[in-house]
Amino acid sequence: EHHCIMAQRLFYPTLRNSLRCFGTTPGWQTEAVAVPQAPSAPLILNETSEIDKNVAEVAREAWIETLDPSGENLHVGLIHLHPKVFATYPRLDIIHENVVWQQKYRMVNTSHTKLRSEVRGGGRKPWPQKGTGRARHGSIRSPLWKGGGVVHGPRAFTTQFYMLSFGKRIMGLTSTLSAKFAQDDLKIVENLDMPSDEAGFLEKLCEDRCWGPSVLFVDDCDLMPRNITVATDTINHINLMPVYGLNVYSMLKHNTVVLTVSASQCIEERILHHLNKPDYHLINCAKCYNK
Amino acid sequence: MTSSGTEKALSLLRRLPRVSIGNLGPNPGAHNEKRRGRGIYGGKTHGAGSGGSGQRQNFMRVGYETGNTPFYLRFSYQTYYKGHHLKLSYTPLCMGKLQMMIDTNRLRCDVPVDVTQLMATGLFSISPQQKEGGFMLENEGIDHFKATINIEVQWANEAVIASVERNGGFITTAYFDPLSLTAAIKPVEFFGRGIAIPRRMLPPQHLIDYYSDPKNRGYLADPAEVARERFLLAQKYGYELPDVNASPNKDILLERKDPRQIFFGLEPGWVVNLKDKVILKPTDPELKEHFAS
Repeated sequence: EHHCIMAQRLFYPTLRNSLRCFGTTPGWQTEAVAVPQAPSAPLILNETSEIDKNVAEVAREAWIETLDPSGENLHVGLIHLHPKVFATYPRLDIIHENVVWQQKYRMVNTSHTKLRSEVRGGGRKPWPQKGTGRARHGSIRSPLWKGGGVVHGPRAFTTQFYMLSFGKRIMGLTSTLSAKFAQDDLKIVENLDMPSDEAGFLEKLCEDRCWGPSVLFVDDCDLMPRNITVATDTINHINLMPVYGLNVYSMLKHNTVVLTVSASQCIEERILHHLNKPDYHLINCAKCYNK
Repeated sequence: MTSSGTEKALSLLRRLPRVSIGNLGPNPGAHNEKRRGRGIYGGKTHGAGSGGSGQRQNFMRVGYETGNTPFYLRFSYQTYYKGHHLKLSYTPLCMGKLQMMIDTNRLRCDVPVDVTQLMATGLFSISPQQKEGGFMLENEGIDHFKATINIEVQWANEAVIASVERNGGFITTAYFDPLSLTAAIKPVEFFGRGIAIPRRMLPPQHLIDYYSDPKNRGYLADPAEVARERFLLAQKYGYELPDVNASPNKDILLERKDPRQIFFGLEPGWVVNLKDKVILKPTDPELKEHFAS
């Protein structure tokens, strides 16, 4: 019955404002909505993932923009983002752990101290055990001596490698996406097609839209369109990234993160898959996931 | 309705500076900066004093009470734990929980439900090494149990049997010896070991009566007697026994395992290779005879 009423309401464009509660009903269906727009612009109202459809939380809405400013509208459509990916509690401590992990896991300490056996000399007993009146010693390179070996010092090529648990890595991604989205630093773009391949064009576009100096473009496929590749080639702070390279550090390093529609769908599908799988209870089990 | 905590946090974030690498920090108390202890007095461990046998880590055996008969030797035997190593314990599974699992699609009821399916939900852990025998069904929630399933557990009482059969389902009690149970609860790990599926062993002496009794729907009981008991139970509890032939899931409901079978669809002696997606069956007549016995 409830769905029936909802469906009826949806057909009345004047009651569009009441659509706000549409997201709270279990099961958010794809419905065409009369948004005041130019008739030439395609309307995309996306329901994204098949997994985890029935959520009590409100789906977050984001404009779908275009990188082509020549068209009539900047906003090409509207997309619904899953709340469990883009509107979770932003665990800043988990984000911190992820950042630290990303920086540390590849670190190798090269600092090195010599042991008493490695320090040159010190094989002979310096003076006899008894009779000299001095303290008894066996070697001039024992740790007690100046210039002697170091006992528990750093030893070269000590790796700092460790694997953060899988659950924390997932939570890091969802927290960062949620934080970025909440702070208006997450933009959804139709695709990465640009009319011009000039760096200046892209910089002006980013400036006009108040996208932070550094921008990260994320797309589904790793072969990006030619124009944007050429444009970003010379700019070091605007970067392109395929979906599989998405990581917490990069998202924080760049002020604005721009996802294409297909990239956001891919991210949602993958994260929701992991959050909803039957052996979720093994998600932090080192044996299974930290390989 | 996102939890108010999340909504509050996200709306707070809108007013706070941009979350960046330079902004973040760990939770208080997250990092324990432990320093290596030094010295024997206030040095905070890493010292065992000087002199004496304490410095040389000479400890007496565990339980030694410096001469008097220690506690663990004072009492020779207690009757209460006689035969404890032979007694099995079962993981309780309430009918209400079973219904909830089926309703939330956590447990499939379009296949016969046995130990493997129940373990696949991920909600239970069974360790055969700790003398756990499997699942037993409990009475809690039998009144609103509505599912029609073909279930195989290790222990069930009369009321539970009645509640399952009232809805047109079938229940069987089956014994799994520890080795077979280890295979049944974690099939993928078992197949990864590359050994032939063993034959399920018969129950021990004190359990054979239970599993041969048609009243308990034992897997070793005569099917004709089991059918008769079904009818009698329906009369006792006062429900109409639904006709299985009319049900659409007839094949699933009537599927039963052989007493020597561990998995549905797999016979003892077969080697399942999950990597190459191949099943190897024995060809030697002696082996075949052994596994078929």
